[in-house]
Amino acid sequence: MAERALPLTSVQEKRLQSLGNLVASLKKGVTYAILVSGALLAVSPLIWMISTSLMSLGEAQGVRLVPSTIHFENYTAAWQEADLAGYFINSVKITLITLVGQLLASVLAAYGFAKIKFPRRDLIFGVMLSTIMIPAMVLIIPNFLTVTWLGRIGPIRWINNWPALTIPFMGSIFSIFLLRQFFAQIPDELFDVAQIDGAGHLRFLRQVVIPLSKAPLMVIVVLSFMGSWNALAWPMLVTNSPKWRPIAVGLMNFVDEAGQRTNHMMAGAVITIIPILILYFITQKQFTESIARSALKG
Amino acid sequence: MFQSEVLFAGKQGRTLRESLTGYAFILPAVTLIFTFGIFPVGFALYVSLQKWRLKRGDFIGLNNYVAAVDNLAFIVIFFLALGGFVLLWITIKKIRRQADEHGESPWVFALPGLAYAATVLSFLRWLIILLPEVLDIAGKVIGIERTQALFFRFLGEALLAESVVPAFGLFVVFFLLSAFAASWTTRRNNNPRRIRYQLQFAISWLAGTVAGLLAWFTWREVGRAYIAAAEIGSELEIWPQVATVGSGVILLVIAWFVWRSSHTQTSDRSFLFRLLVAILFMLGGWLLINELPILLAAGDKDLWSGLKVTIFYSFGTVPFQLAISLFLAVLLFQKMAGSELFRMLYFIPYVTPFVASAAIFRQLFSVRPASPINQILKLFGLKSQQWLQEPTGIFKMLAETFQFDLPAWASGPSLALVVIMIYSIWVYVGYDTVIYVAGLGNISKELMEAAEIDGAGRWEVFRFIVFPLLSPTTYFLSLIAVIGTFKAFSHIWVMRHEFSLRTVDTLSVTIFLEFFDKVRYGYASALAFVLFAIILGLTFINNRIQGARVFYG
Repeated sequence: MAERALPLTSVQEKRLQSLGNLVASLKKGVTYAILVSGALLAVSPLIWMISTSLMSLGEAQGVRLVPSTIHFENYTAAWQEADLAGYFINSVKITLITLVGQLLASVLAAYGFAKIKFPRRDLIFGVMLSTIMIPAMVLIIPNFLTVTWLGRIGPIRWINNWPALTIPFMGSIFSIFLLRQFFAQIPDELFDVAQIDGAGHLRFLRQVVIPLSKAPLMVIVVLSFMGSWNALAWPMLVTNSPKWRPIAVGLMNFVDEAGQRTNHMMAGAVITIIPILILYFITQKQFTESIARSALKG
Repeated sequence: MFQSEVLFAGKQGRTLRESLTGYAFILPAVTLIFTFGIFPVGFALYVSLQKWRLKRGDFIGLNNYVAAVDNLAFIVIFFLALGGFVLLWITIKKIRRQADEHGESPWVFALPGLAYAATVLSFLRWLIILLPEVLDIAGKVIGIERTQALFFRFLGEALLAESVVPAFGLFVVFFLLSAFAASWTTRRNNNPRRIRYQLQFAISWLAGTVAGLLAWFTWREVGRAYIAAAEIGSELEIWPQVATVGSGVILLVIAWFVWRSSHTQTSDRSFLFRLLVAILFMLGGWLLINELPILLAAGDKDLWSGLKVTIFYSFGTVPFQLAISLFLAVLLFQKMAGSELFRMLYFIPYVTPFVASAAIFRQLFSVRPASPINQILKLFGLKSQQWLQEPTGIFKMLAETFQFDLPAWASGPSLALVVIMIYSIWVYVGYDTVIYVAGLGNISKELMEAAEIDGAGRWEVFRFIVFPLLSPTTYFLSLIAVIGTFKAFSHIWVMRHEFSLRTVDTLSVTIFLEFFDKVRYGYASALAFVLFAIILGLTFINNRIQGARVFYG
């Protein structure tokens, strides 16, 4: 092509260049416009929520987009009158108990599957992994019966108490899968060195593997947090009083009861969303990257 | 102490110790996943075969399934039996092929295989007989002070119950027989493939027995259904239906195989093959199209409407979600300033708790004329809509604005469901975008640059290089998304309104209502198994069709 083209004068060249620049920057502008409008669509419902949560009832019912005066008392209303405070604390407790159990079980199992050799290891892992396919609706009925039975015969109640809300979620194959992938990348030579120093598997896990795996552990914390915060069907079944009811169920009841009080409802939604968003902003880089990586490998 | 040192000494001892450590490490998680993830599948199957409303009732066989899908239940179980026999045939063929290769006779291993299969089956039988006894312990302890000693007493009673003991005895007999058979074959025979042969025979015995049991069960259940129908004076057509649907499916399967082999033929014969495919396909399809609607009409209306809603929901969300996120991902991938920020913002809807974001959408799409979305409509001079309280189909509504009248079957998903679809797309676009961006990162830059040097335009590079190389990502995302629509519950539960007249109730919601509102545990379990079967079928078909086309560069 270059052979056939006639030599350009310097003026023509400059013109062509500036035209090219114009096209490039126009393209860039269009790209940015699309990306920005996408981002706006993604976050505008949340911005609307915050704005409405600060309005008076009249404004929230009307067509205003921005509150004329800030009404923080909506938050106190949601927090105290609807007792979202109680549900919030329940959810924090449920999340923490689930998290501790899940981390312990998953770290041990992931290490076992990644670093220790034993007969039928891959078969057991495969069977565990296949449970991802099973829809929750198949499990929910028998698990409800199991949990009722355990509560009747055991030393503590399960229904309407923390065990039913936490213990079934402690065994998470997805957490094990994520951690196993990470642990498998840690070179075996490290363990050989540790073994010469007299360390067993447990000490190697505690002193070498866990300090190296802060990123995937963080991801599991966020995922487990999201799981507890999102769960609705199961807590609806196994709680029948506000004593242990988590915030998802509390907010749903509030949304049903609050009727026209949109401002209070949105304040309740803000209260529910904030902890998750904070956690996400702290960990977002590792979190999004781990999610993407696990998806591409799985 | 001394003993354990001896046990763990030497190389073998170290391996043993390593294995035991491994099992100890995985034990807590495996126990939890087994108890709340694997055992419940069997338990749900058990529940689905009983009349079970709050409390366990009588064993009623396939009745729950018949109530859900009518005679399709018999057809499916008949095919499962057939599948068992096919598995038996395949394993026997495999055994013979191996034996021929090595010039030996494998039949001596059939006996230990039989013993193993009998052990497994008698153990399962014992569990099934024991299960109700153990479940009843919970009823016995009501009202009395619960102590450990009491529980163990009741557990002992359950284990020694009249019906349980013989089942356990049978299991022990078979167990001892297999132990004897195992040691006998090991001593008599030093064939290096003996363990594999024994296992394969065990599998074929198991498959054969289960298939036989299923066939017998089908026969009995169909007979019972005929008798029950005769009593009320109605007529049944189960066997003809099994025959027509069965041959329809078989014709379709044959058509699929012929179609596959037609690719390897020369062009003349390939044409003939394709003609054959078309004929087989039409014949099979015609049989199914004639018979299936009759079957479906007789089943549970809620189940089929739930399935219809779920299918609408899948088709209304997955393609849009994937297209939008692919577009955004390609734009984001150009590594411009702020792409990290955009990625973070797009991901926010996915991390927002479902109940909260669904509550926001409930308000955005509220029926009030002052609600944000109705206000936007007003900007364009359109009138307010009922949104989540509107049961009318979207196509019907669109047609009505042009003074058309559409028949009921063409009215499409209700407006309420469309709002839920919009919500779903809003939630998952960010997640899909992030994964697409990562997928794009895996494509080699050299390939794209080489294509550009060869004179390919940007669209051509995308169409012929980027898109095919992204197919594993697209495959993964679409599978996850479709299964996700079948599992969807929380946000639909928050957004459903009684005025939408159940037009937003997907299968999951229907099952939950049967269980939660109507306390029909047995029936809800049967419905859940129907859902499970559909998900398994979808995954299988997806694997076959899309998996064959995915290009793993």
